[in-house]
Amino acid sequence: MNRPTHAKAAAPAIELRDVSKEYKDVRALDGVSLSLAGNRIYGLLGRNGAGKTTLMSVLTGQGFHSSGEVAVLGGNPYENDRVLSRICFIRESQKYPEDFTPLQAFRAAALFFEHWNADYALQLAKEFQLPLKRRIKKLSRGQLSAVGVVIGLASRAEVTFFDEPYLGLDAVARQIFYDRLLEDFAAHPRTIILSSHLIDEVANLLEHVILIDRGRIVLDDDAESIRGSAVTVAGAASKVEPFVAGRTVLHRETLGSLASVTVEAVLTDAERRQAADLGLEIAPVSLQQLVVRKTLAAAEEDSATAAATVMEVSR
Amino acid sequence: MNRVINVARMQLINKWIFLGIPAIIMAGAFLVTLAIWAMIPDTGAAKYAGSGQAVMWYFMALGIQSLTLTFPFSQAMSVSRRTFYLGTVGLFAVVALAISVLYYGLGLIETATGGWGMNGQMYALGWIAAEAGIVQILFYFISMVTLFMIGFWFATVYKRWQATGMLVASIGTAAALLGLVALIMWQGWGPQVGQWFAAQTPLTVAGWAALFCTVLAAGSYLTLRRATP
Repeated sequence: MNRPTHAKAAAPAIELRDVSKEYKDVRALDGVSLSLAGNRIYGLLGRNGAGKTTLMSVLTGQGFHSSGEVAVLGGNPYENDRVLSRICFIRESQKYPEDFTPLQAFRAAALFFEHWNADYALQLAKEFQLPLKRRIKKLSRGQLSAVGVVIGLASRAEVTFFDEPYLGLDAVARQIFYDRLLEDFAAHPRTIILSSHLIDEVANLLEHVILIDRGRIVLDDDAESIRGSAVTVAGAASKVEPFVAGRTVLHRETLGSLASVTVEAVLTDAERRQAADLGLEIAPVSLQQLVVRKTLAAAEEDSATAAATVMEVSR
Repeated sequence: MNRVINVARMQLINKWIFLGIPAIIMAGAFLVTLAIWAMIPDTGAAKYAGSGQAVMWYFMALGIQSLTLTFPFSQAMSVSRRTFYLGTVGLFAVVALAISVLYYGLGLIETATGGWGMNGQMYALGWIAAEAGIVQILFYFISMVTLFMIGFWFATVYKRWQATGMLVASIGTAAALLGLVALIMWQGWGPQVGQWFAAQTPLTVAGWAALFCTVLAAGSYLTLRRATP
């Protein structure tokens, strides 16, 4: 059972090849391919219904995919206790047995998660002011989220998923979660996948960003390189337009003779000087803005393709 | 194997569902029956009560509960469906066996005390009490497991196909039973069927129930394999 650690490190923590999932009339996942090395904090971003929970369900064997291949920690997670025992995924809408209290849920977790730390769970519960002996069904939405967060953190599973873990949590509790996550990650490095649509709040935690939209991966890159991958150029429209010509435009706003254009570009020092000489303002783009622009751009592209298809058909 | 046992332990974290409520039902049914018997004037004839069955029916509800309430949680605990199934059904089998032995014991006490001093029959029912002890235990055991599996199977159908699945399964079962009865009437097999039923002994009933139970157990497992929390 005790394999040398380098054997574990060899396989990527998560690997998906062309994974699709169809519900009756929707493609919840559409040809998703990903390879995540692991031991980092990944952000799984996307709008509601983009496929985040479906993807995590497939990765934890809780849900099924229609086609493609899934490997977590080197094996297909479905009905695979060897893999499952190293994974933790508490759903956003997680159900608990009737009449269970948080304390009983923690006792159950202790039975199944090898690295479960009961003291840490109690300490976290205290920080979240979680009533340990109240029935879970009587907890508020925020407290319910806190139960999931505590189990996720205290499980110290090799691959841990957090599914919109902040729902109903107040600002203080959310900050506690972010702080504890970083601290515990530093002390016990593991693969964390955090699904979220509060992008600005989690932006600083993330080392790697995966953006999913209507079942497709739109972005899969280092958080660092994403942050530098786009800029907003603002100034007189007559000067902005030639400057951004030939670049991928993510967003364009004009007001009279003024324009503000977001482009996907890493500007060289020379370009920045040129912009300054032209009187243009260069501003960095936040992760949230970038995600919004990317998602909208992907949607536009889609409708453009759809329109083209319609024209083809009607011809 | 260890995880299978842990599933059983998880089901027992809330002791009421598997242990407390059955104990209360059994004690309650027993005491209420004794009270009723005490009120009935003694005519010398034996007094019968079916209250011993009460806890068996609870097991159908238990089958439903242990799936609907605990399965989604077991998924969050990273337990495979197979492990969940084995642990839950295994725990249930142990509880059912314990209750069966208890019933046999109570039957012996009932006979020895002249029907609790009131000529009553609650556990040592004539039809069963004449059989060997092991047959009695087997009969109780299989009856309870069958009821549990019926509940469990309906719950897996619900879990996988929701209300539509339940509706189809219920109507389908009813239609099949109705069709069988109609066939018997139409073919004039009534007398033979009656004879066949009369010829059954606790052992053969247990055998048929065991067969039915195996089908249900296999059906529940296959349904659960593709169920989502």
